[in-house]
Amino acid sequence: MINAMIKWMQRYEGWVGAGGALCLLAGLYLSLVASPPDYYQGEVVRIMYIHVPLVQTAMLAYSVLFAGSLWYLWKRDPIVDNLCHAAAGISAFLTAAGLITGSIWAKPTWNTWWTWDARLVSFAVMFLILVGYLMLRTFVDDPEREARYAAVLAIVGFVDLPIVHFSVEWWRTLHQPLSISMRGVALSGEMLRPLIVMSIGFSALFVYLLMVRTQMLYLTRLLHAKKGRLLSHAHLSDLDT
Amino acid sequence: MPFFRVIRWVAWKDLISEIRSRETISSMFFFALIVILVFSFSFSMDQSETRELIAGIIWVAFAFTGIIGLGKSFSAELQNDCLEHLQISPASKGAIYLGKLAANLLFMLIVEIILFPMFVIFFNLDVVEQLPVLLLIFALATLGLSTVGTLFSAMTVQIRAREVMLPILLLPLAVPVMIAAVEATRGALNGSPIAMYGNWLQLLAVFDVVFTVMSFWVFEWILDS
Amino acid sequence: MIAIRGCDLGKSYGHYRVFDRLSVEVEEGQCYALFGPNGAGKTTLLRILATLSRPSTGRFEIAGHDGLTEKETVRGAMLFLAHGSYLYDELDAVENLRFALALRGLTLTDRQIKLALDRVAIGPFADLKTRYYSAGMKKRLTVAKAMLIRPKVLLLDEPYTSLDESGMRLMNQYLRDLAGEGAAVLMTTHDRVRSAEVAHRVGVLDKGRLQECSVEELKAHAIF
Repeated sequence: MINAMIKWMQRYEGWVGAGGALCLLAGLYLSLVASPPDYYQGEVVRIMYIHVPLVQTAMLAYSVLFAGSLWYLWKRDPIVDNLCHAAAGISAFLTAAGLITGSIWAKPTWNTWWTWDARLVSFAVMFLILVGYLMLRTFVDDPEREARYAAVLAIVGFVDLPIVHFSVEWWRTLHQPLSISMRGVALSGEMLRPLIVMSIGFSALFVYLLMVRTQMLYLTRLLHAKKGRLLSHAHLSDLDT
Repeated sequence: MPFFRVIRWVAWKDLISEIRSRETISSMFFFALIVILVFSFSFSMDQSETRELIAGIIWVAFAFTGIIGLGKSFSAELQNDCLEHLQISPASKGAIYLGKLAANLLFMLIVEIILFPMFVIFFNLDVVEQLPVLLLIFALATLGLSTVGTLFSAMTVQIRAREVMLPILLLPLAVPVMIAAVEATRGALNGSPIAMYGNWLQLLAVFDVVFTVMSFWVFEWILDS
Repeated sequence: MIAIRGCDLGKSYGHYRVFDRLSVEVEEGQCYALFGPNGAGKTTLLRILATLSRPSTGRFEIAGHDGLTEKETVRGAMLFLAHGSYLYDELDAVENLRFALALRGLTLTDRQIKLALDRVAIGPFADLKTRYYSAGMKKRLTVAKAMLIRPKVLLLDEPYTSLDESGMRLMNQYLRDLAGEGAAVLMTTHDRVRSAEVAHRVGVLDKGRLQECSVEELKAHAIF
């Protein structure tokens, strides 16, 4: 199982990476050069082509983390734990990038860096959960237990997010009568095309990073095991061969 | 039924220990008193401002106090390796979870019921008619905090930096509970009809059900390999 | 019939490998004493068999049930007297016993509990919080627990430590009785004299290998 997955990753990671890079290049051209500026927002709208795919990919990454965590608790395969760990790290990074680009986009369009919108808050909570997840992993001594606890946290957090979103939405309609229009940009075909290309590009980038990072974590674990073997009593080394 | 007997015995054990040592409830209580004191200094409030802020202050105090109680809940099991005993006992891990949850919920509710009169006195609140609905809000929101809290208490007690990790893991997940509890409490304290904030109670109930079931299900992976 | 069967068990803690491909079998009615220097992995082996920690490799059976897939059944059949006393400081002896029994789904009468406490000679302290118990008294209380539970498989981690002369005699009497009833007993120990009185088989775990020797060798102090 482990070997099959690693082999599969090694075979396809180059293709995924190259495909992703091509998509991102094409997407950047389409979104920064070929697409028209927005009627209301002008050139500012171009942040959207980065921001929206980032957010989508971050959610995709958390979904992968969620599915992987369930899978891990079911099968207890260490490589799946490495996959989850990788997905969580990338998801945390993408979430942070999504929050920052969102903030930059919000300033010229809504004239504020931050607003207590349901999507923003649930995204911020998601970031906190992911950071908590990564912190938790560093505080557990036993790798098996680390994997188990992390998986439980990822699952509980995933179930929590819709409830967070829902509660903030209610709360906001109560306190901030919609002063800022949260309506998205009306997308014409010329704007939709670069967005889709960028989304595919970012997703491919995520999959590529996931493959690389999973292998890296797997190899690190292998290295620790090897090092452990050397550190263990000398008598054990002859049992390995 | 052995399942319910285990729940009862685990809760009973925590209760008896607490009655004899009074460790958890007294530390929660005095911590909360200090929080109230600090808040009363931080905001010098007249009547109208109090009304807007007090619900938030109450729940910040309750949540932090709750974290103290939840943290103690499982660190008590570390003495004499009792946590191991729970792990290798043939009893259902879910039943053990529910027993611990019942005890935690009870401790937090007791502290809240002792503390609430302090808020009433210090912040000059008018609550007599709203008491039943306030109790309902406290019960629902405290259950929400303790479901996830009991789960994470069992998790963090077995790792390093446990005092830090419990609030770091618990508070983001408890965002819906906090929002709903504050909104409902504010509604009740303002004397609004329950229809105005009833949906927050529903949200709390949904959270409670979802996370009780969920924690019950995943607790086995926290306590046992 | 074989009551404890460990096959090719291995355990590593991240970097450090304790042992590898360790196999052990204990039959019903047998008492197996496990010796070995500190850090050899005796307790680790016991904790694996007690379903406390997962083996990194290998499988094991307790009372005919798989230790990894039929954990609940295994735990019902087995009792582990570990280094920790598993007692709650704020509860007294009777309450502690009742709690431990309730977790196993057992209900016993006050008389039975009183009798067991008298047998281990802590009857007079039955309603004293175990917080005030000495280590030896705590150990005696766990023996009383074992007497009431009467498990099919008993695992003990250094059963003689902190017990006095009469306590050790009590422990051995109990182990003999239990083995006589057909239970399998596996203990780690450093006490050659005491364990020689009850052990049917003796093993030495050292440098990741388990070697068996005879009780006579143990008595003659001929092992390590």
